[in-house]
Amino acid sequence: MYLQLKSLPMTQPDIILDMRHISKAYAGVPALRDVSFSCVRGQVHALVGENGAGKSTLMKILAGAVQADSGEIVFKGRSFSHLTPRLSLDMGISIIYQELALSPYLTVAENIFLGREPNRAGVIQTGQMRKQAAELLERLHVHIDVDEPVSELTVAKQQMVEIAKALSRQADLIVMDEPSAILVGEELEQLFRTIHSLVAQGVTIVYISHRLDEVFQIAEQVTVLKDGALVSSQARAGLTQPELVQMMVGRPLEEVYPPSPGKHGEPVLVVEGVSNKRLKDVSLTLHAGETLGVAGMVGSGRTELARAIFGADAVSSGRILLNGKPLTKASPAQAIESGVALVPEDRKAQGLFTALPIRQNVTLPILKRLSRYGVLKGGQEEQVVEAARDKLSISMASADQEAQYLSGGNQQKVVLAKWLETQPSVIIMDEPTRGIDIGAKFEIYQLMRQLNAQGVAILMISSELPEVLGMSDRIVVMRDGQIAGELTREAATEEAIIERATSGGSAS
Amino acid sequence: MVLSSVPSKTYTVRRFIVRYGVYVSLGLLLLVALLLTPNLYSQQTLTVLLKQSAQLGLIAIGQTLVLLVAGLDLSVGAVIFMTSVIIARVSNGVDSALPTAIGLSLLLSAVVGAANGLLITKRKIPPFVATLAIFILVQGAVQAYTRGVPGGFVPQGLSVVNQSTGFFSIPVVLWIGLTGLFLFVLRRTTYGRRLYAAGSNPAAAHLTGLAVDRLKVSAYVLCSLLACLAGVVLTGYVGYVDRFIASGLDLDAIAAAVVGGTLFTGGRGSVLGTFAGVLLIQVLGTMALLLGLTIQAQFIIKGLVILAAVALYSLARVD
Repeated sequence: MYLQLKSLPMTQPDIILDMRHISKAYAGVPALRDVSFSCVRGQVHALVGENGAGKSTLMKILAGAVQADSGEIVFKGRSFSHLTPRLSLDMGISIIYQELALSPYLTVAENIFLGREPNRAGVIQTGQMRKQAAELLERLHVHIDVDEPVSELTVAKQQMVEIAKALSRQADLIVMDEPSAILVGEELEQLFRTIHSLVAQGVTIVYISHRLDEVFQIAEQVTVLKDGALVSSQARAGLTQPELVQMMVGRPLEEVYPPSPGKHGEPVLVVEGVSNKRLKDVSLTLHAGETLGVAGMVGSGRTELARAIFGADAVSSGRILLNGKPLTKASPAQAIESGVALVPEDRKAQGLFTALPIRQNVTLPILKRLSRYGVLKGGQEEQVVEAARDKLSISMASADQEAQYLSGGNQQKVVLAKWLETQPSVIIMDEPTRGIDIGAKFEIYQLMRQLNAQGVAILMISSELPEVLGMSDRIVVMRDGQIAGELTREAATEEAIIERATSGGSAS
Repeated sequence: MVLSSVPSKTYTVRRFIVRYGVYVSLGLLLLVALLLTPNLYSQQTLTVLLKQSAQLGLIAIGQTLVLLVAGLDLSVGAVIFMTSVIIARVSNGVDSALPTAIGLSLLLSAVVGAANGLLITKRKIPPFVATLAIFILVQGAVQAYTRGVPGGFVPQGLSVVNQSTGFFSIPVVLWIGLTGLFLFVLRRTTYGRRLYAAGSNPAAAHLTGLAVDRLKVSAYVLCSLLACLAGVVLTGYVGYVDRFIASGLDLDAIAAAVVGGTLFTGGRGSVLGTFAGVLLIQVLGTMALLLGLTIQAQFIIKGLVILAAVALYSLARVD
């Protein structure tokens, strides 16, 4: 057990995993900078950080899905410059992703042993496979019928099947990527019990989560990453929640946000007690000329709120009023007619017609205005597109250029141009600056301010806290489909937002 | 992914292939025919060529419309058969009953098209499966109606579709006219713009306030109506009712649209490209005939041309 290769430095015997000085860049952009991460056998180690902090990249390197540019990985005393997916699995590393990787129509037992079925001359020993699967589930203290098709199980039970699958591969180290994101209430308690029993059996768990209360409940060690660098790695004991938040955030606000005009008019959008599958009793008011920031973790219901207001999703109770008039049905067409615009989160999937020319993207919602008896009037379209290009400084070769050949920033400007043509009184922007360069970002911020000055109200959903703080006149924080708190511009800090988004603090 | 705002040279070349490949190919083929099979250019051959192109072309316009909304219509063969049976049964050889018979055919065809569209949009059945099921259903229903023996007579008056003035005949004028009409509709009307948008990105179209389902259903209805027109022309051409009246034409129509640059993924294509695609396929077939090639060889050539066209387009596509 203490036998070591001579070239290796002496490793503590109870350190199962030691990732040393790992660096990784994607196309020159550093994702990880000299990060070291080590885990003690049989402990729960929490890995925390904001979106884009580098958690996923680090775990992908461990899984062998991505290769580090430099650094070394020591696992169970063996040193590697990089791993392959096969090698990582064979050595006992299993990763359970948020999107579970199960075959829905196969049974629980078949899923657990997929590709490694106990067999004799290629014939699967069904009885033995079922018995072994039952034993594995027994070890997890969960009651799942091994003959049930996985599609019949709840998501929580499917997760247990994934864990059993990891155990069947003799996993010593299981990485759980945001396991709680798909769980509710009692299911989370069950997960914790399972984790405890795994740890008691000597399995090491790396627990990735946004939710700090969970981290404090279950982890013995905590490692914080931020902007691809290691901030801290220490025992959880002696650490307080505010300290952890400070470590996760702790960055100065960048000076890229133009000042708010600060003059607000009448309420234009009123959301009253709106509930549906993903929202619970959400109320808010948006005034003319105001930018209301909506913060919260991914999956907290922000996008669902946007879709409900826009009529893309149905509302089961509550109502939405625009300029005092209620929206009567779930229909984007009606919302647009009433003066709402939605710049969606996923630009390519939901906002842009990538295969169509810029012209056809921009004029789509206003074809009626540009036509007579359904026939487009010559020349007017060109004027509209040219005016939009000048106003938003869209860099394009011609109006006939297909939108897919534009840069991310220019694509977003095309989507914005489309909506500005409808002269909306409310614009919902879901992650308005995702995936675009800093120059275009700044231009979009300035445009938002211009719109505010013209009295347009903006509901801005963003995962980037500096953006939320820099652009919002007010901020609402969402968690689990509810409004977890509202902050004034003056009272808002990254710490205050994260606290409400993660620990459910309802005080505002 | 090209990020620069100014198109690169390869982009320009690729776009040229996608946009004009079929026209250039057709032009080259016609030049080759000048050397290889000069009698293609005889008045008689060209007249027949155009007439057959018109039959295929009417169906192909419809297929282009459903392909634009990322669909496909396998039921056109049944619509054509249905039309021929209705014409023979309802008119029973009487010219004056022809308008009633054609009107009834159009009406039932529209119902078939609406059924296709509704199954695909409301029940979310893949177009291939939905239109295949409707094909079998309609074919079966028509045969049940005729009890396997198509009765009635095709009126003499319908043979007017076979009369030509120069190169022109009613089917050819209809084909060229409808191509022109749909060219205009797709390019210059709000309906055309919306159809492209709904096919190109249905999610984004919905979030831009378009009635995506209604647009899709309309494309299937138009496709069935165009197939019905082709059925009228074919019935007049053949002069009797035949269950295999449309055999081969249904799939050739899809091939013509694809050769003409219409994509299966929706949102891209034009009826002008399809027009050229139809001519390309018919000229090739006629040339093979003039060269005395066997029917088997003709099929092989046709298959290769379709593959070549698809390969060219996929090479030209920028991802």
